[in-house]
Amino acid sequence: MQVVAPSTVNGVASTIAVLVLLVEFGMLRAGLLRSQVRLYAAQSLIASLLAVFLGVVRHEPELLILAGLSIALKTVVVPLVVLRLVRQSGTATTGSGILKPAGAALVALAVAGFGFFAVGRSGLRVDGLSPTVLGSAVAIIAVAFVLMIIRNDVVSQAVGFFSLENGVSVASLVVAAGMPLILEVAFLFDLLVAVVVFGVLMRVHHEEQSTLSTAQLTDLRG
Amino acid sequence: MEFSPVAVQAFQVGTIALCSPGVSGVIAKIEARFQGRRGPRILQPYYDLIKLFGKESLAPSGSSAAFLLAPIVAFACYLTVPLLIPVLTTYGLPLGTMGDILGGSLILALAAFAVAVAAADTGAPYAQMGSSRTTTFSAITEPVMLFVIFTVGFLTGTDLPYKLAATVTSSASQVVRPSHLLAAAALFLVILTETSRIPVESHSGTNEFGMIEQARSLEHSGPYAALLVWGSAMKQMILYTILLNVFVAPWGLAASGKPLLVAVAIVTLVAKCCAVGFFVTVIDNSFAKLRLFKITEFVAAAFLLAVLAVLTIYLGGG
Repeated sequence: MQVVAPSTVNGVASTIAVLVLLVEFGMLRAGLLRSQVRLYAAQSLIASLLAVFLGVVRHEPELLILAGLSIALKTVVVPLVVLRLVRQSGTATTGSGILKPAGAALVALAVAGFGFFAVGRSGLRVDGLSPTVLGSAVAIIAVAFVLMIIRNDVVSQAVGFFSLENGVSVASLVVAAGMPLILEVAFLFDLLVAVVVFGVLMRVHHEEQSTLSTAQLTDLRG
Repeated sequence: MEFSPVAVQAFQVGTIALCSPGVSGVIAKIEARFQGRRGPRILQPYYDLIKLFGKESLAPSGSSAAFLLAPIVAFACYLTVPLLIPVLTTYGLPLGTMGDILGGSLILALAAFAVAVAAADTGAPYAQMGSSRTTTFSAITEPVMLFVIFTVGFLTGTDLPYKLAATVTSSASQVVRPSHLLAAAALFLVILTETSRIPVESHSGTNEFGMIEQARSLEHSGPYAALLVWGSAMKQMILYTILLNVFVAPWGLAASGKPLLVAVAIVTLVAKCCAVGFFVTVIDNSFAKLRLFKITEFVAAAFLLAVLAVLTIYLGGG
């Protein structure tokens, strides 16, 4: 069985989407909080590059504005804020997950495979793009959930949540590229709200528990 | 004038056999420069081989015929693989279709098996350790190779290396599709482990814990050791050639038997191999070695890439 090659534009878009997914897998492996945040910045940058690429190819200047905003917000502001919180907490390493990196990678791989499978079977098709792009977006969301589930520190969970938003934005880029700019920007500001909430959570949690780990939260009563 | 296909096929084997020590020499030189040393001459591997061929050979007492046979079997295997892969040409040559990618991997595995048996045969603990470790590691990289071969199957509808090279050069859309890029990256990671670069081995040291592949041949001496050293240089160049001429850069290959085209193909191949060697050396020297039992993490990364390649092409059409 030979699978016919998609067009070059399609191939580039798929490759960028798969790169975003690969960075998500990198987050599963990252053992330092700051490298986790940096990976998130890199992932946001790559996702924004997808917006730039699609904007140029489809002649939609709105996407370029969106890409500029999301680079400013997601690769500069959010990582800086989170890195500052991490530095103030004085913790360098992530909480050890319930799985070792190799095991976590295999679990995430199975989950990502389900993402591709679900999109392939759902019959969702985007004009001019192969299901790989949408499949990657769903896989990113699924792997972000795995990251949040297996890690037991607040920063990993927050970064997992933010990167989940990257998956959603990749999906929205390909599915609804014609969506009004105001809606896309509203999504970005939703993220800002999440950053504030998680920032407060990290601070409060660290002040009360003197740790970023969520392991002790199970012992709380009342 | 045009070389006959049989002659070109002989050139394919000859190029790998004669140029591989030179490629190793270039890589050793680059590596030395990175580490702030002057390094050996580029032709040093050839002098080493000449020296080893002139020395007497000894076998440990109690070892069987397998010990002396293994270097010859392994060397013959490494001479056979270039027949099957596009070393110099874009078109298939006589005997070129007697094996597909699986056939080539089988012959490479047979060579590794012969050397591992010989190492186990010596009864020396150190050679045995090397033999059992290389066998274990090649077993865990095997699934990665399997998924890479699946991807090739989806890309071309066949599992012939010539066919993939032709597919890759056919259009830009074949190059930038994610499945092709992921499979090539997975293959590259496997080659890094198979040529004892990372994650745990040191390529050219005598530090016991870093030598795994080299430990197997410690008991061999004289011409037998020379064949093993030469064989491992050939294995490295064969793997680089598969990566370059099948997956990543199948350009510069001869389209016919014209002497000029064949000469250009030989020079291009050696230059491309040195370029990959440079890249590998950069990677080798910029990452710390991992602990032995961390090798599964490294292989898991390669496995991830290979499985994603299959997923994107089988479920996503990429």
